[in-house]
Amino acid sequence: MRTGVASAAAVSAWRLPCRVKMVVFLEQMVNGLTVGAVYSLVALGYTMVYGVMRLINFAHGDFFMLGSYLGYTMLVTVLAQSSLPLWVKLCLATLISMGAISLLGVLVERMAYRPLRKSSRLTAVVSALGVSIFLQNAAMLIWGARYQAYPPWSVPEARWMLGGVHVSLMQLLIMGISLVLMVGLYMFVQRTTVGAAIRATAIDHDTARLMGIDVDQIIRIIFVIGPGLGAIAGVLLGLYYRQIHFTVGWSYGLKAFTAAILGGIGNIPGAMVGGMLLGILEMLGAGYISAAWKDVFVFLILILLLIFRPTGILGERVAEKV
Amino acid sequence: MKRSRSGLLLIAVALVLSMSLGYYVMAAKEPIRIGLQAPITGPWAYEGEMARNCVQIVVDEVNKAGGLLGRPVEIVLGDDQGSPKQSALVAQRMVSDKVVAVVGTYGSSINDPASAIYERAELVNIGYGSTAEKLTEQGRKYFFRTCFRDDKQGAFFATFAVNKLKAKRIAIIHDNTTFGKGLAEAARRPIVEQKKAEIVFYDAITPGERDFTAILLNMGKQNPDVLYFTGYYSEAGLIIRQMRTLGIKATFVGGNAAVNDEFVKIAGLNMAAGALQTQEPLPTDLDYPQSKAFLAEYIRRHKEPPSSPWPVYAADAFKAIAAAIEGSGSTDSKVLMNYLRNGLKDYPGITGPISFDAIGDREGAIYLAYEVTTDGKFVPLR
Repeated sequence: MRTGVASAAAVSAWRLPCRVKMVVFLEQMVNGLTVGAVYSLVALGYTMVYGVMRLINFAHGDFFMLGSYLGYTMLVTVLAQSSLPLWVKLCLATLISMGAISLLGVLVERMAYRPLRKSSRLTAVVSALGVSIFLQNAAMLIWGARYQAYPPWSVPEARWMLGGVHVSLMQLLIMGISLVLMVGLYMFVQRTTVGAAIRATAIDHDTARLMGIDVDQIIRIIFVIGPGLGAIAGVLLGLYYRQIHFTVGWSYGLKAFTAAILGGIGNIPGAMVGGMLLGILEMLGAGYISAAWKDVFVFLILILLLIFRPTGILGERVAEKV
Repeated sequence: MKRSRSGLLLIAVALVLSMSLGYYVMAAKEPIRIGLQAPITGPWAYEGEMARNCVQIVVDEVNKAGGLLGRPVEIVLGDDQGSPKQSALVAQRMVSDKVVAVVGTYGSSINDPASAIYERAELVNIGYGSTAEKLTEQGRKYFFRTCFRDDKQGAFFATFAVNKLKAKRIAIIHDNTTFGKGLAEAARRPIVEQKKAEIVFYDAITPGERDFTAILLNMGKQNPDVLYFTGYYSEAGLIIRQMRTLGIKATFVGGNAAVNDEFVKIAGLNMAAGALQTQEPLPTDLDYPQSKAFLAEYIRRHKEPPSSPWPVYAADAFKAIAAAIEGSGSTDSKVLMNYLRNGLKDYPGITGPISFDAIGDREGAIYLAYEVTTDGKFVPLR
């Protein structure tokens, strides 16, 4: 009896009429792409730091979490009383949170990573873990261990039916903003002088220095961009789900890290592709296999990929890694 | 000077005499000592404190009416701090203190080691907040409980959904925790057996996740009338929000861990309003005359009613022990155990009639469905 019901529920998506099946599939894709866009934004932070410093910055998920909390604090304190239009308030909250987190990123790099740049890679990773634990507990002490929720008035609730598929304004915003930011970042790295310097530093620190590039400055720039993007993703996440918690950095950090590896760590388009792919895989796994097995499914793919293509999907084709 | 000194001496002698005489009288009526094991400190200190307050009220009541078997009742308090280790120590102390029976304790995993010790010492113990099914499934003869088992709630949901909500298509989602899965199974079983409604969807989510759109989409395409979610409030808030955003109109019913203030905060008032929850009645919603009197006394002493259902079950555990002592005319543990199991039938407790079945669980099940109102309050659905 028990297995009968469970399996009936598990394959339920397959038994629907053809048209409904298509609509469900499309809705799953929309939801998957939304989550994937958040993963991509966070994954960029991992991938850029790894590309330039060969360091897995485990504190990155917590930058993302703090970004979410700062946006929340801005909205419920300073911006709650002001009479500005909603979109201005949201932009302000995002920008302030982004600025503060970028500053924090530079600070963390200066205090926790730069002194260890010449030591073994493991030492730096342990330092990153330490920063992560510190930030998480700081957040817990400041905002408390209970769940916080973005105020209802701050969330744009508009949603439409496009050919039977539910799409909300927040989903479009998340996908749109992420896409613009990612393309912008790619252009910045590929087309500008600073971008060229970043790419040069990624290939070889010493040679880059011989070419007159200030490597410390480049690393600082990386730690402005990465955490800044993380903070934006954090605010978007808070607006999308409304609920935030100090442990969110760990779970999303892990997923984003997976996305970065999936796409080929150290590679910017790889992070984008990896994030989107992970989001879609998750939704399809949850929708067509079982929601309880969602993570199992995702990490199974990761393990298989690491066995058969350890450099990730886009890992081999691109020679230089940023 | 000398006179007054001898006068003082006289008074002192008289005092000593009267005290020992008093002691002599008291000794003739040696108090009946009953243990109360509760988390007075630690993470559940609030629950423990309320349990102590509740038990104190019924003890005072009994003593005012002349005690039990003509002897006064004395409570021996043991603080288990909500920790299994401390719980075992408290239980050992209760045993060596030779209490007649024990009321306690709150958490299921805390209750387990203590009740094992009470079992070896053949000491009647009545849990008041430990709802895990396992506790009465271990063949212990001296363990009882006045709270209801988790699976009774599932059965309540089945009846409620089919008869009151007139649901034909029911979806159940749990969160794979022992509690959530157990409750979901307990709700599914009677629905499948009675065949009056159909389970159209049955699946689990992972606690700590934020995105449940995939599972909700699948559920929505089955057109359920009712969704029963048996997990905790943090996921429940996200689920109701995401399912309304996806345009799914099914009535949301939560288990007794799903709907609270946090749920409303996460879901937002506009989406949370109208959500239902199956739950033990709050003390303020108990309808019996004895419960109203008890609540009035509690409010008189502590200014506000107990905020959770559990402490009142502690008072009822004491009342059951008191009834067993009076009814059997004995304080022998074996006699009390037999009386509680076979002699006590529909004793009018504060939380309703109390009888115990063969394994020590309370018979019947008293649950209510609560509704979230449009201003975010919780009221019983009648």
